[in-house]
Amino acid sequence: MDMDALFETCGEIRKHFDDYLDGESSRERFRDVQYHLGHCAACGAELDRRGMMKSDLRSLPRRQAPPWVALRSRVLVSQELHRNLLGRLLVRLQNGLKPRLLPAMAGVCSAIICLGLFMTSGVVPITNIPDVPVSLTTPPRVRVLAPIDLNAGDQAVVVVTRIDADGRVISYQLLSGQPSPELMHRLDRMMYFSLFQPATLFGRPTNGQMVLSFRQITVRG
Amino acid sequence: MDTLHWLDVTGDRAAPLTEEATLVQELQAGSEQAFAYLLGVYQNPVFNLLCHMVENSADAADVLQEVFLKICRGIRHFHGESSLKTWIYKIALHEASNHRRGWLRRLRREPFSLDDGQGEPVMHSAQSAEETPYEALEQAERRELVSRALASLAPSYRAALILREMEEMSYEEIARVLDIPEGTVKSRLMRGREMLRSKLTGLLSEK
Repeated sequence: MDMDALFETCGEIRKHFDDYLDGESSRERFRDVQYHLGHCAACGAELDRRGMMKSDLRSLPRRQAPPWVALRSRVLVSQELHRNLLGRLLVRLQNGLKPRLLPAMAGVCSAIICLGLFMTSGVVPITNIPDVPVSLTTPPRVRVLAPIDLNAGDQAVVVVTRIDADGRVISYQLLSGQPSPELMHRLDRMMYFSLFQPATLFGRPTNGQMVLSFRQITVRG
Repeated sequence: MDTLHWLDVTGDRAAPLTEEATLVQELQAGSEQAFAYLLGVYQNPVFNLLCHMVENSADAADVLQEVFLKICRGIRHFHGESSLKTWIYKIALHEASNHRRGWLRRLRREPFSLDDGQGEPVMHSAQSAEETPYEALEQAERRELVSRALASLAPSYRAALILREMEEMSYEEIARVLDIPEGTVKSRLMRGREMLRSKLTGLLSEK
């Protein structure tokens, strides 16, 4: 092979270097290029230079879009998607309601809970049910009331009684009735022998007050 | 949106064909979620393409928004003759071309500063433990030269080279994006590489 023929062959082969590097050459052409490269150092060097430029291009840094671009693009796209009046109104309504939805729900739930507590605290539990009352406060109640004799001439007797956490009478005060020594003695005895259930606060016994009213009932016959 | 299994939105790869069809359906139905997904997948590669294609890379962000607005407006007319990826790149190159024309018109009218076009300062730091600072600097300078040589090419050659080398598109895909025959793609690539090589040789000899 003379020199002219060799250069012509190199020139022909080099025309296919781009396809070869891109992996787009046919099988026959690929084999021809490889065969030529095996015998021609100059073409090998040229292929290396082209390969290096290709890798230089591929190694150029990829630019990243700034974060605000994505947000602005989303807003623009959203505006574009809701161009009609109804769509715009719906989006505005949603945007207006969404931030208020959580506090509003929390407010409604709190109101329901408070209302529930308030309603249950006023209910007086029934005494013959063995359940522990769960309301906030309960008044003291009479368990066993000792009998008391009232004279026929006595008026109705009203007494305010203070009861401690153990259900015992601490003191009492006569609100209505003649405070005669005899009546006071009978009231002392009655208080001593009566049993009371103490008042409760959050389920725990505590001191409390209750009003007792006595009236003599006469049955004829 | 329940039927669609979304891919990793941080990746730069496009959705496979079957998922692409579902994505197109969702986009045509006007789903904001589908558009958010589309943005997540394509915004970085399209932004990179635009940075190389518009004369002033600071405008690339504005052009990118225009591109996605055009996609939003035109998705109803997309009938799947090409892939979604090539359609998006086609719009991006068209918008870049429009912007370039406007930019050139403005450039003729407006005064310019000598400080313009000096580029941002490049920070050189070693990329890996094996790379010395000197090698890192050399690499960065080489990349800068390649970037400048690429920017000096005519837009038609530049676009073909970027799509082939950076976006790794096949000749067929490039032909669809640029709307030219495959033979012309090959010749543009070959001619573009030759021009880039000669420009790089010139720049390296200047150094």
